Amino acid sequence: MTGGTRSGWLFASGVVIAVAVWVLGGPGALGEGAVLAGMLAAGELLWLRPDRRTPLPLAFAVMTVIVTMDPWHALVVVFAAEVVVAVVDPHAGAVRVRIARFAERLAEAMSAGAAYQLVHSTEFGTLRAVDLTALAAAAVTPIVLSDLIDRVRRRPWPPLAARSADVAIVAGGILMAVGFQGIAGVGDLGVWGPVLFSVPLLAAWYSFELLASTRRTFEQTVSALADAPELGGLVRGGHAARVADLAEEMGRALDMSPAQLDELRTAALLHHLGAVSLDEPVGGAALDPDDVAAAGADMLRASGVLAPAGEIVAAERLLHRPPGTAPQATGALAGMILKVASAYDELTEGSDVHAQWAVEALYTGPGYVYDGRVLAVLERALERRSDVPV
Amino acid sequence: MRTWWRDPFRPIAALLGATCLSLAAALALCGSSPQWQVVLVLGGLYALAENQDVRLPNDSSISAGFMLAMAGVVVFRSEGALLGPLLVGLGGGLYLEHLRTRQWAKVVTNSSIFALSSLAAALVFQLIPERAVESIPGQLIAALPIGLTFSLVNFVLLVPVVVAANNTSYRVAARDLWLGDLQIYPFALMGLLLGELYLDLGLWVVPLFVTPIFIARQAFASYLAMRDAQDAALALLVRTLESKDRYTAGHVERVARFSVCMGEEFKFRPGRLERLRYAALMHDIGKLIVPNQILNKPGKLTAEEYERVRLHDAASVTLLGRIDFLAPVVPSLDLAHAPHGSEADVPLEARIIMVADAFDAMTSTRSYRRALSQDVAFAELREKSGGQFDPACVEALVAALGRRGERYGSGHEEQPVEFGAPPPTVGTGSAGLGDLAGESEAVGR
Repeated sequence: MTGGTRSGWLFASGVVIAVAVWVLGGPGALGEGAVLAGMLAAGELLWLRPDRRTPLPLAFAVMTVIVTMDPWHALVVVFAAEVVVAVVDPHAGAVRVRIARFAERLAEAMSAGAAYQLVHSTEFGTLRAVDLTALAAAAVTPIVLSDLIDRVRRRPWPPLAARSADVAIVAGGILMAVGFQGIAGVGDLGVWGPVLFSVPLLAAWYSFELLASTRRTFEQTVSALADAPELGGLVRGGHAARVADLAEEMGRALDMSPAQLDELRTAALLHHLGAVSLDEPVGGAALDPDDVAAAGADMLRASGVLAPAGEIVAAERLLHRPPGTAPQATGALAGMILKVASAYDELTEGSDVHAQWAVEALYTGPGYVYDGRVLAVLERALERRSDVPV
Repeated sequence: MRTWWRDPFRPIAALLGATCLSLAAALALCGSSPQWQVVLVLGGLYALAENQDVRLPNDSSISAGFMLAMAGVVVFRSEGALLGPLLVGLGGGLYLEHLRTRQWAKVVTNSSIFALSSLAAALVFQLIPERAVESIPGQLIAALPIGLTFSLVNFVLLVPVVVAANNTSYRVAARDLWLGDLQIYPFALMGLLLGELYLDLGLWVVPLFVTPIFIARQAFASYLAMRDAQDAALALLVRTLESKDRYTAGHVERVARFSVCMGEEFKFRPGRLERLRYAALMHDIGKLIVPNQILNKPGKLTAEEYERVRLHDAASVTLLGRIDFLAPVVPSLDLAHAPHGSEADVPLEARIIMVADAFDAMTSTRSYRRALSQDVAFAELREKSGGQFDPACVEALVAALGRRGERYGSGHEEQPVEFGAPPPTVGTGSAGLGDLAGESEAVGR
């Protein structure tokens, strides 16, 4: 669907919603109801969402605004908007999926309304405190419900970092609601409130979208580079991806930070890239691993922000040498993890069938080659994979 | 004393600081005082926002600090209408880096500029009748002159500072600063609304307002960092390719540049141009699977070697096809094997890159041939138009280079490669490696 077609659909949705609200909700609610319903529908149709998250920023924030309306008007607005979305959304797919999502959104909006009414009916403090707490409850509840629905559908639990997006929804939603109805009777900007205060929220989400798409392109570019030695027959197929997955798992078990895990993963994916820059040895002999690592590390070090990954690749080879013969390496722990993960994958040829034998072989090597602590982490990672002790 | 005046910031700082101080004293004596706790909150937030600015790729920076200055203009409407905004503005110049390194002249200069800009904006706000800014449409309109005044004063005061500090011309400084000021209107509007809400609802509204903006700032900064990582990945590819074949140094960057020039001729939007540049930088990724000995072989390739070379086209398509961002411009594998197929089936970007690739191959010295002149390369491209090359792309390249007055090829090479044995002076070559064996035969090598 092109941008023009999408805009056309949005306009048509707005007209349908306006008519529905006018017929069902009465002429007095027409303007505000139509605008809020249009914003709710736009929030769904614009398909703005951070990576691996279900809550839709604009739609969920608008729910916080809608719950401050008269309950019946609120229901009409949500119902009309979601019917239009269920009909016109080009992403929704089969009718069954559209109906399920319609029900899901309705439940989320109603949960927001219920939470708002529940808190608002209590008298635990000043009117302002009650209003604010009720709005906070209305903003948080649909996010919690959508997460629970995701869990029922066996989708992975979102990482903590993605929660900053939820904080933006909650803060943005409360602000939009405050702008709409005011708080404790003051500060009412009418429908201008949600319209204008949606701008920072949309800016936040646009940034999340940019970040997610750029990250995806970066990861795929690195993967494409990692695949080159494998396509050229210099490395066993899938080696880099398997080593990256295993190394990342081990790094996480060793409490490495997200930034360190990113660097380790990049290093693992590209630790054989140096092979493509070396001349093939005469007579079909294998390339010297030290030369491969040194070439790859040099190229990574010279590539700006990927330099830390280069240090890890360099450290992986330096750690092959007996103590005292190699200089102290930067990124030593990550280098040790990479070395163990890569050696394990080479021994098992990509299959966990020989996992036990491979781990034993790694343990029986010279003491300085593989770090005992990292080998223990490898064992635990393999046990988690197979659910049986290695 | 002589050293004191050598630092260009110090006399400017002294002048601006003295002006600021005099105005503050005069306003304090003549008018009402603002609420100090409000000054501290808004000024502190202004300093925080300015320290959290995000540097954009065009070297300008963006921050939400201006919004706090505009909020100050509204909040002090009834008490300390001019002194309040001036004091809040001082917070904007408190950059941690300057404070930590004790660059007091810079601190005074920046703070004074922000303070005087805020004062000017507050003056304009005072001139607007209160009734006009009671409604939201009124505020939408009022935000423009208020924001522009702040921007203009800031611009006028900052240009001489930048000229003195960077030893640049007024014209260059003015151009750079003006680009950075275009962001100002949305923040002006948001700032006025924040001020109104503050007056109605009190201090607690500030975190609600600032949180989404701060999160947006963090996400945008992460996006820019990720862009750097992406550029580094491309640089890594270029470096790896050049490590395999030093005779094609600079090739992919030139192909990317020619491609972007042609994309501009086709009036591509910025997003499409970025995709084209990216694809052009990566178009030779398949070369990574070709052994160095074959790439650098000075003599004729054997049939087996030629076949390995031909495989690089398919490898490029395979690898690029795995990148979602490039998927729309990567032709299908079948089409890559049959590049003379229907033009309609091959994306325009791929046809552009094919022409750019061939042009650069012809206008660069290679191990098998010296660089041809630009006119010969254009003639060759035109001769093969309609068959190997898309005529529209060929003409776009000719027009783009003609418009820019750029010359490539024999006599115009940026970094001519020195060979042990001089390459032949005949033989057109073509789209890089693809026709290497055929051309080698054609020139009788």
